Amino acid sequence: MEKLKVLHVDIGGCEGCNVSILRAFPNVQDFVELNMKYLAKKTCAEDKYDMVIITGGVCMNEPHIIEKVKSLREKASTLVAFGSCATFGGILRFCRGGQEPRPDHRNFQPINSVVKVDYSIPGCPPTPQMVQSFFKFFIAGDERRLRLFKVCADIKKLSGFDLIDDIVLTGLCIGCGACELSCPTQAIKMIDKRPNLIAEKCIRCGTCYVRCPRASQLLCMGGKI
Amino acid sequence: MISLASDNLLGTVFGVYLARAKDEEIRKIKVASGGAVTALLTYALEKGIVDGVVTAKRIKGLEGQAIVAHDKKELLEAAGNKWSIVPFAARMKAKIEEENLQRVALVCLPCQAQFFGQMRDFPLLETDFGERIKYIISLFCMGTFAFEAFLNYLRMKYGIKAEQIKDIALKKDFLEIIYDDTTLALPIEEVYSYLQAGCLVCTDYTGTWSDISAGFVESEPGWTVLIARNPRAEELIKNAEKEGYLELKEGSHVIGEVLKKAREKLARAQQNMMYLL
Repeated sequence: MEKLKVLHVDIGGCEGCNVSILRAFPNVQDFVELNMKYLAKKTCAEDKYDMVIITGGVCMNEPHIIEKVKSLREKASTLVAFGSCATFGGILRFCRGGQEPRPDHRNFQPINSVVKVDYSIPGCPPTPQMVQSFFKFFIAGDERRLRLFKVCADIKKLSGFDLIDDIVLTGLCIGCGACELSCPTQAIKMIDKRPNLIAEKCIRCGTCYVRCPRASQLLCMGGKI
Repeated sequence: MISLASDNLLGTVFGVYLARAKDEEIRKIKVASGGAVTALLTYALEKGIVDGVVTAKRIKGLEGQAIVAHDKKELLEAAGNKWSIVPFAARMKAKIEEENLQRVALVCLPCQAQFFGQMRDFPLLETDFGERIKYIISLFCMGTFAFEAFLNYLRMKYGIKAEQIKDIALKKDFLEIIYDDTTLALPIEEVYSYLQAGCLVCTDYTGTWSDISAGFVESEPGWTVLIARNPRAEELIKNAEKEGYLELKEGSHVIGEVLKKAREKLARAQQNMMYLL
């Protein structure tokens, strides 16, 4: 079987996602040909890649980054936004005054503000195992399992705040506790069987939203809230 | 507003079986269905295929609690229908880590199966424990009660206190509440508004993210319907039969009935979504 030709490009961020992809490399190298600057390979050398993975948010004040993302779209058969910054803007986009890290240019956008994205994988950062299973299901063509990430590719903002707005305040929360378990910063605590969000702690990665059974079910059905 | 192909309603179906426990003890306790889930899990525990079963146990009234069962006795104590959602996730993680379980079977509702299924397939967090989950068994679900409200209703209208309730069972269009030594049959319409709003917009009847879906259909009383969703699940069911824990027969003729229920749930969800969203 021919290997999937994958290019990884980082356009700014904390390197967490890059490390995650790098950590997955030993387990995926049998079926994926990964081009990544950490692997001392010449990246962007070819005209066409099966998949381009972009990490980090787009800084709208830097035209060369926008150009780069556009040219990557040309090269890619499938474009994947990996990590919360690339998917929804994450901490880069939503951090407020006084909070660290504080980017100089305060205008970060998710990749899908600039080009069309095929799959978005939120998470801060998504684990190496996630990279593995994504490749596995992608190569197997398992659309049902990848549906959630496909839907996320059209969404520009998902966070704990949206979870509270869309699911808890509308009364759709059933109190299963999935969000509490999936918050990487422990910003969500279950109080009286309903989640409570500690606003200062939320880094807007969107993990809780895609993990909420109700929210992910509604997303997958295409029922836009 | 929502379009869903009907073949998607039941998810991947690998095989459908009607099963019941061979063990008389299990069948005696499980009056409603065949006790196949309990028997299947007993088999998995006794043969060391899993080292713990995380399930919910009703502690008082309708309130449930997540527990880990290690043997048949503990499984039997947790057997029976639950009517409220159990805040499973966080407690489960604590339980699994506390006892250092490596191969767990989960018995849960479709929504929880979806969460754990997604976690197993797509571990987004370093703290995920998906690789420890061996089997996810989802029960057919028509919804869970907002049970404080429901219990209040029962107390105000019928004078039934939470402690008195022994069991609740669904019989055709009636919800039978067994308390003390009496049975009260409530029409489903009467109690519908006490289901949680989140359940009213849920479209998943069988638990499409599970390995095995289990439940019962009215045309086959005394039998549990088992839907195997992958070869691994099929193997578990077949082996349980071989080892004499399960009585098994082909069940593809009831899939229509399951599908009908699933459609009902979808129709209800679509209707309610118009009001709620």
